[in-house]
Amino acid sequence: MALLNILRYPDPRLRAKAEIVETVDVGIQKIVDDMFETMYEAHGVGLAAIQVNVQKCIMVMDVSDTREQPLCFINPEIIHEEGHVALDEGCLSFPGVYATVTRPEKLTVKALDREGKPFELDAEGLLAKCIHHENDHLEGKLFVDYLSPLKRQRIKKKLQKMARQTL
Amino acid sequence: MKRSSNPRVVASQVLHKITSAGVSLAKLLPSLWQDNAFEPAQRALVQELCYGTCRWYFQLEYLATQLLSKPLRSKDHDVYCLILIGLYQLQHMQIKPYAVVNETAKAAKLLGKSWAVSLVNAVLRNYQRQQDALSQSLKNNNSAKMAHPQWLCELIQKAWPQHVDAIMQANNQRPPLVLRVNRRVCSREDYLQRLHESEIEAVAIEQAQDAILLKKACSVSEIPGFYEGVCSVQDAAAQLAADLLDLQVGQRVLDACAAPGGKTTHILERQSNLACLHALDNDAQRLEKIHENLQRLALHDDAKVKCLAADAADITAWWDGELYDRILLDAPCSATGVIRRHPDIKLLRQADDIAGLAMQQQRLLSALWRVLKPGGKLVYATCSVLPAENVDIVSVFLDTQKDAREMTIDADWGHVQKVGRQVLPGDEVAFDGFYYAVLGKNKKESKS
Repeated sequence: MALLNILRYPDPRLRAKAEIVETVDVGIQKIVDDMFETMYEAHGVGLAAIQVNVQKCIMVMDVSDTREQPLCFINPEIIHEEGHVALDEGCLSFPGVYATVTRPEKLTVKALDREGKPFELDAEGLLAKCIHHENDHLEGKLFVDYLSPLKRQRIKKKLQKMARQTL
Repeated sequence: MKRSSNPRVVASQVLHKITSAGVSLAKLLPSLWQDNAFEPAQRALVQELCYGTCRWYFQLEYLATQLLSKPLRSKDHDVYCLILIGLYQLQHMQIKPYAVVNETAKAAKLLGKSWAVSLVNAVLRNYQRQQDALSQSLKNNNSAKMAHPQWLCELIQKAWPQHVDAIMQANNQRPPLVLRVNRRVCSREDYLQRLHESEIEAVAIEQAQDAILLKKACSVSEIPGFYEGVCSVQDAAAQLAADLLDLQVGQRVLDACAAPGGKTTHILERQSNLACLHALDNDAQRLEKIHENLQRLALHDDAKVKCLAADAADITAWWDGELYDRILLDAPCSATGVIRRHPDIKLLRQADDIAGLAMQQQRLLSALWRVLKPGGKLVYATCSVLPAENVDIVSVFLDTQKDAREMTIDADWGHVQKVGRQVLPGDEVAFDGFYYAVLGKNKKESKS
């Protein structure tokens, strides 16, 4: 396994759209495993392939407190959404930035698992929010897109400044 | 995605875990700092909310009960915790009340419980309106007034009728920061001078030879020489163990329940010419802490030191067959003497834990006695204020063990017991509650 580099906003590659995975083979499974390792290392609850510069419909997550309930979604599709809830969230591509975003309270997603087997999952709370957040990434959408242009601009400036300082 | 990190939300989740799953603050907070990206001010607020709410939990709980018309459902325990956190801020913090009410109510929404926003808001506003009447009614409920669980109030009352209020008041104070100077590197006088030059106000503690009390707590990164191993953070009462061991050149020494290694390292600082020092702990993870501390104090190269992950009472598992001249048994205990440092103890400890702990203490003492050399000394220590874990354990042991005798501690700290001495919280500001007894093993076993 290997740690992958997480792209940081405003990297334009975060706006790329992910392609459907045709067959879940060893190569895809390697990407999944690396994504899990990267996500755990960064203390994230979810990670989309786009964030590690892989333009494929893959997302991994673990919202458990014990960090032992990994979930992998390949070619996810949200088939049902219900309700709205506004919660604070952050993103591994936006270090140190948190903002309130309204997302569905409950949703149903269908996808393939790490072995390529189809499954359906009903989710609510943090998991639903996380699935929605990662699924956005696969379409090139970011959580700051839900904020006002002014707030988005401020976050962009902050992260650009941070990037300059770490160089 | 990363989790949100609103300090009030996070604090209520922490409190929820302590009360529902029995996990300690010391375990929860480090992983919290890893999983959330806090700014320093936010982090300080989370810490203050967590520690403070635990410290006053039994009082806040009483207030909440008066203010809520019916108890919340168990699945909404996180909202309940948030209410307690709100009350804590109103009672004990300098934050403007309208900001407390507003921010805490908003946090309910971030917990995913939008319905609770108005409830939290109403409870906190009602508290503000009824504050005087509530503080009157507090006086009639001792557990709430002193912010201790009822069972512990009763045990302290029974054991220390003359000191009960002072003990509980001391338990509710914020602990001071006490340092231990590494005398291998620096004398206490020189280090005091160094602190003075860094404009940190500090005084020497008379009863503990290496101890310095800081007038104002600060972070370890501000303490000069901390990372170079010039000093350690350790309560003054805990520093008494090294004195009582009366360490001499060439001795074999055992530290039986050693993690995180505060007393282990003190032993080495005091006597560099030991034959060996064996440090045991049954928690391998906590044993790592000893290595860290040895490393920081540049004591890890010492070939005489050996750390072993083992249950000290299971002698066959770890003992090399040679007797020890000195044994320190800092026994696992209720930790009721260090509540000011670990206020979550009030929530985590239960009345029926004490009997189990006493059994473990008895078992450790009897087992370790067998590996003590005739003519050697064993120091029995706990950070408990309960006689059941202290004087009772040692008295019973002396009654049954014919080759054991008490060696009276000649000191000006603490309270003399039938056997040993007890330091109580509140005796001296630099001292946590501790119990010490020194036992000597007779050279010739008497025939029985």
